[in-house]
Amino acid sequence: MKNYAALLLLGLAPLLSLAGPEEDREAFVEYYQARFPDVPFAEFANGIYAIDEDARRQWQDIEEFPPYEFAIEQGESLWHETMPDEAKLADCFAQPVADIRPAYPRFDAGRGEVVTLALAINHCRQAHRLPALPYDSDELISITAYLAYAARGKPVATRVPADEPGALAAYEDGKRFYYSKRGQLNFACADCHVTSVGLHVRADRLSASLGHTTHFPVYRSKLGAVISLHQRFFGCVRDVRAKPFALQSKEFRNLEYFLSYMGNGLEFNGPGARK
Amino acid sequence: MVPVRANRSGLAVIILAAVFAAAGCTTTFERQWTEAEQLRLEAAAAGAEWLQTEALLDQARDQAAEGDMDAAWELVDKARFQSEAAVRQAEYESTAWQNRVIK
Repeated sequence: MKNYAALLLLGLAPLLSLAGPEEDREAFVEYYQARFPDVPFAEFANGIYAIDEDARRQWQDIEEFPPYEFAIEQGESLWHETMPDEAKLADCFAQPVADIRPAYPRFDAGRGEVVTLALAINHCRQAHRLPALPYDSDELISITAYLAYAARGKPVATRVPADEPGALAAYEDGKRFYYSKRGQLNFACADCHVTSVGLHVRADRLSASLGHTTHFPVYRSKLGAVISLHQRFFGCVRDVRAKPFALQSKEFRNLEYFLSYMGNGLEFNGPGARK
Repeated sequence: MVPVRANRSGLAVIILAAVFAAAGCTTTFERQWTEAEQLRLEAAAAGAEWLQTEALLDQARDQAAEGDMDAAWELVDKARFQSEAAVRQAEYESTAWQNRVIK
């Protein structure tokens, strides 16, 4: 009898490890708060600057003349441009401008997939007889920079509706991606940003994943350009010597969905500035 | 995007095999190259392809075309090793990732 009970428990073990999104998020937050007990929860929205005092001081100096301001201005201009049928991008979104960024990523039951802000902007353009913008284009990234700026201070509130199995599947897919090792270096996202968080990789300290999505797009000093969250994903995957997925691929959108949910309760503070 | 790349690469395999067959020169190298490419596609289908495998196979084909078979063999062997390792990695990670989830 004991043997049957042991076998039953063994069989249930994989299921027991599949906690729901809210249990995952609570454990995620508790982990980082235990690792950095002096860092208030809200500070994690500032990424590496929450845990690296020297980098934080440099960032505060950079913020005196934010290098992403040009992107915000360009994005605002594009936001108000008239499309061929006289519509504007704002016409595609039901919310006030400050509430658009917080509405993404979201699971679109009709499309059966996660829709990110960049994807929604391109859907809008295509619906109004404009071609989709490349996902690494200055134009598209600047529009997201404008919307991120408009949403500053709004809380992250990503939803994984319990009555939508596709949403939970997308969330689980993103979670699996986050914790799976890949590439020639055999690294998972979690190896750097959970296990080794706060340690150095060469001269850089590894940031916490809690809050990773709040501040994108970010101006990267080493590139002299504003980049999207998916470009950052692309770079991380390439750096572990795995073949990266395309920007806005299903894999990266689901990863964004998972990470955004982990950041629920933090405030949007994009665009950001990083080394 | 992986399926698109896989389809394109799959087409390349078919074309290359057809060229070899038409030329009547299905050598050991060509068979090994095709096998390595199929393994790469298997890794890609699992979302686990490594960064440089496709480039190694491209370089192997170029070296073979230039007649440097030693270099071509070395590159095919590396590509094959990478693809096999990537497939094994994906198989292992299909369950192992759960052990890393913060609980």
